[in-house]
Amino acid sequence: MSTPALSLSSSFTNSTADTLLTQADAENSHGLAFPVEPPTSEQVHTTVHTEFGHCSNEAHRRFSSHIPNTPVLHPEDRDPPYYVLLSTYVSYLILIVLGHMRDLLGKRFRAKSYKHLMPSNGYAPLNSDFDSFYTRRLKKRMEECFSQPVTGVAGRTIQILDRYSKDFNHTQTSLNTVTRALNISSYNYLGFAQARGGCADAVEEGMKIYGVSTCGSRLEGGSSDLHTTTESLVAKFVGTEDALVSSMGFATNSTYIPALVSKGCLVISDEFNHASIRFGVRSSGAQVRMFKHNDTNALEALLREAISQGQPKTHRPWKKILVIVEGIFSMEGTMIDLPTILALKDKYKFYLFVDEAHSIGGIGLHGRGIADYYAVDPRKIDVLMGTFTKSFGAAGGYIAGSKVLIDRLRIRSYTGPYAEAMAPPVLTQIVASMASIMGVDNPAGTSMESLAPSSSSSTLQLISSSTSPEAQYHHPGPVPQGFLPAWITLPYALSSGFEGRERLRRLSFNSYYLHRGLDKLGFITYGHPCSPIVPLLIFNPGKMMMFHRMMKDRQTPIITVVVAYPATPLITSRVRFCVSASHTKDDIDCILRACDEIGDVLDLKHGISRKDRWSLDEICRRAVELVNLPDHEN
Amino acid sequence: MASASSPLDTVVLTIAQSLSAVERTFYKLPGSAIIERYVRSSHQNDPGRTFLELIIFFLVVRTLLQSRTRADSNNAKNFIEFTEKEIDELVEDWVPEPLSRPLDDVEAAELAAVPVVAGPNGPHPTLVNTGKPAINLASLNFTGLANNEHIKQRALEAMRKYGVGSCGPTGFYGNFDVHIQCEKDIAEFLDTESAILYWQGFSTISSVIPAFCKRGDIIVVDRAVTLSIQKGMEISRSTIRWYDHNDLHSLEEVLQSVEKERRKRKGPLTRRFIITEGIFERDGTMTDLPKLIELKQKYKYRLILDESFSFGSVGRTGRGLTELYNVKASKVDMLVGSCAIGLCATGGFCAGSKNVVEHQRINAPAYVFSASMPPLLAVSASEGINVLRDTPSLLTRLQDNIRAARALLDQVECISIPSHRASPIIHIYLRNTTYTDNLLHPSSAASMPSSKPSNPTSPIPRDAPVFDIEREERLLQEVVEEAMAQGVMITKAKRVRGLEISEARPSIRLAMSSALSKSDTEKAVHVLVKILKRKFR
Repeated sequence: MSTPALSLSSSFTNSTADTLLTQADAENSHGLAFPVEPPTSEQVHTTVHTEFGHCSNEAHRRFSSHIPNTPVLHPEDRDPPYYVLLSTYVSYLILIVLGHMRDLLGKRFRAKSYKHLMPSNGYAPLNSDFDSFYTRRLKKRMEECFSQPVTGVAGRTIQILDRYSKDFNHTQTSLNTVTRALNISSYNYLGFAQARGGCADAVEEGMKIYGVSTCGSRLEGGSSDLHTTTESLVAKFVGTEDALVSSMGFATNSTYIPALVSKGCLVISDEFNHASIRFGVRSSGAQVRMFKHNDTNALEALLREAISQGQPKTHRPWKKILVIVEGIFSMEGTMIDLPTILALKDKYKFYLFVDEAHSIGGIGLHGRGIADYYAVDPRKIDVLMGTFTKSFGAAGGYIAGSKVLIDRLRIRSYTGPYAEAMAPPVLTQIVASMASIMGVDNPAGTSMESLAPSSSSSTLQLISSSTSPEAQYHHPGPVPQGFLPAWITLPYALSSGFEGRERLRRLSFNSYYLHRGLDKLGFITYGHPCSPIVPLLIFNPGKMMMFHRMMKDRQTPIITVVVAYPATPLITSRVRFCVSASHTKDDIDCILRACDEIGDVLDLKHGISRKDRWSLDEICRRAVELVNLPDHEN
Repeated sequence: MASASSPLDTVVLTIAQSLSAVERTFYKLPGSAIIERYVRSSHQNDPGRTFLELIIFFLVVRTLLQSRTRADSNNAKNFIEFTEKEIDELVEDWVPEPLSRPLDDVEAAELAAVPVVAGPNGPHPTLVNTGKPAINLASLNFTGLANNEHIKQRALEAMRKYGVGSCGPTGFYGNFDVHIQCEKDIAEFLDTESAILYWQGFSTISSVIPAFCKRGDIIVVDRAVTLSIQKGMEISRSTIRWYDHNDLHSLEEVLQSVEKERRKRKGPLTRRFIITEGIFERDGTMTDLPKLIELKQKYKYRLILDESFSFGSVGRTGRGLTELYNVKASKVDMLVGSCAIGLCATGGFCAGSKNVVEHQRINAPAYVFSASMPPLLAVSASEGINVLRDTPSLLTRLQDNIRAARALLDQVECISIPSHRASPIIHIYLRNTTYTDNLLHPSSAASMPSSKPSNPTSPIPRDAPVFDIEREERLLQEVVEEAMAQGVMITKAKRVRGLEISEARPSIRLAMSSALSKSDTEKAVHVLVKILKRKFR
């Protein structure tokens, strides 16, 4: 069952047909297929470099944790110069005016191509031209940035199916060629998107036993013992009494929130919460109020108002108040100030729902998300929701909380009776990846290494300089063997938890490095340096597409996600990098170099003043130092 | 004197200078002459008008300034001023309800009795509950694709190529070649222009509906549609009109009344939709598709048809209702089906014209905001279609099993079966003769249906059937548990009571499968029949 170790020396010979690199890969002209520096004979890498980069440098690691008794970091948003704002508004104005002119003239002179927007044959148009204006006239122009077809594993690199448009983006024509690109866009925080390795082997084993489907919903004959096992493992991982899993991340929010609140309840939601939360709240019938993004003062003011005023008109007290926030926000990379929110919770008696879609597995000393990061007992949070897409290389979502809550949700949400249960391959992937982050407690007695390695790693100072977080928060530790299905055998690197820890620390290093590197180059970024989501502000809509294309057309192609209105406010269009543990320092260097060059061409550097900036070479050379700067000194 | 007046002079001078500066600037402005001329002439004619216009001008300015905080000023009427201390006291006094109620004994027992399969699911799974193998009449495995070795093998190969997760939404590098292929396969199988994949069956239609139906649009819908459709309509905020369950005559009346209403109001042409299911999740009845299409075309409505339970289970090769009735699938504007149920993979799809599909790629929330389906499951769905296309015998075996089961169930007096004879899900109601005497109003309403049509704005029909949910649920649960003890895995149709728009009648829901032999099916149904006969003699 075990996959041969794929070090450089073996990867030429050992790759099976489907991981076999294409012709271009073998030449390594893009520098993605093989590491720049070949590994020494002691370094044995068990991963495929294109899926999970080889990195043996212990200095390129960092711990992800909040230092107790220090203020929570609130990175301030830098504003761009006025001419950037002005030109952005003017760009949109031109786009809108041109679009309306085209619509006006087009309907007169080319009625045929506007047919689907006009009433015909007694049917109203499916799509009014006003509603679809943004899509047709703005998004269409940058169609090449979206829905890029891909193939292979969405790991450190990904293969894109080349395409072009002959008819001004109405259709895309495939070229039948494939390009390997550095992937800084997929949600693959811990690098578990792999088709080779211990987790994939476990999934194969699981599929041989369980097949691909459990046939039906959880309450109507689609439950399997694998679901039960996974749920208790998730509860153990997150640190709550109980947990349940649901086959789709979006649906976890949209179908479980209505089971928590109803008419007469109030939901207080961060203004940048994900669409799935809004969908769920809207279908719950509860009242909803929003507060300014990540502003605990605004939250407190709103709470005071809501509780004192009661329900609108009747002034009856609210049945319950549920505050919904995200651990790390998907477009901003900002992190909530959990200690302050918990203090508010004690005072104002609301229930707290934290969507950990982007923070579970991604942050915290043990990868257990936001509570772990702040070293807070996760049971203080009433509802912990998260997804398996981002850090575990799987799919679907979970809800964790007290047993009373979870049991109620099992029978009271729409998912239990109506939605299909999670598929066995996905469940196995979750079990295998989670177990390898936690480490498996071996009853035979090979003791777990203590979490902080005893080596003289420079990151250690962070931990030792402060009081140990363990004093306040006791993390659950490795998972007992009994929590895993008997047929799962993980290789030692995974079951010892060693690789899991490496992944966590590599992710943290990469996040800090990219974040601070971009800052030092002079770009405007948002969010917490610890977050694997690194938004880089672009502002002008035209530059967005240029940035995307210039990154993709480089010698080493880099694929990026550009997001604009309506996912972000109109003015703050951005490119969103998603860092992964699978990236090596060389990869991040490569991205920084690309950004540096493109940033100069497109005039994107509006961040820190010129005298504070570092040159690219300096950043690459002093990376470790940069990453290990304490949060508040940077 | 001169020294005293000089500061005053300076002030006057400054004012005069600045006034003339203002005047000069005003005249420099383009169009200022017009304004001046207008003010002058209007003032000469009627000084009162100048005054009036000034008032209007200030009102406009005031409204403009206010509009930003309109919501707050609306609330202001109801807003009560409190001091900080009072607020603190109110906060102190407020006692919220608990987030969730603990389960009561009945609920806990029912949750504990939910069948859990040890190992793979299929026609003869081993149950964790009893520790013994059972014949499976509960899981949705109509054509036995869950146990197909070929599909499993292809899925394994896909896993070795793509890994498990897709790690991103379609828009952002989650658009794998296998997803595109699977969409193509579905469209070809059904013979529609195009198709779009969603990642969860339940979320499919509740996302398709709000993608098309907006505020002001009209939805005409069956009274007994499943919860996912109800949720989709709720999100859409469209105007909803209801027609009696599976009664196309009632549908036509509602369509006519909507048309009348529109003529009366002379409103603009809005989008109009008929939403219904192929085989109803609630009771297994089947829609008369040809008649429905005739009506939809006559009244110019678009049809959203949920084929979750009919796709992959009826028709010669499992193409669903359109194949069964020999209707072109392209006549259904939005044909929604489930890959989770019909193909034993995961997710759902919506097939239709290119316009319909492309529209959803930008507007359907569950498609846009969710990571795409694991590629290996998209491969299983594609392979499932191939298997269905190549082996029509799966469908004939399924129908044989359905017929065998129905033949046995028809002999039981104490139950009634609303489901269609070809439906792979068979709902079993208890006949309510046993307790009608206990009802407070054994009124004529139940026995003598009035001829008046139901109110289309209400989801509750005029002659709503009367049943005692709690009692029937309890009795049926007893039957289910007894059957499980005797090695037959069945389940009640589970509901979220109180959250649905109307309550479905409690029922046992059997799911037939071609993976079971006819004799096993008969054996299992026979066990059930014996229990039913003994319990409700």
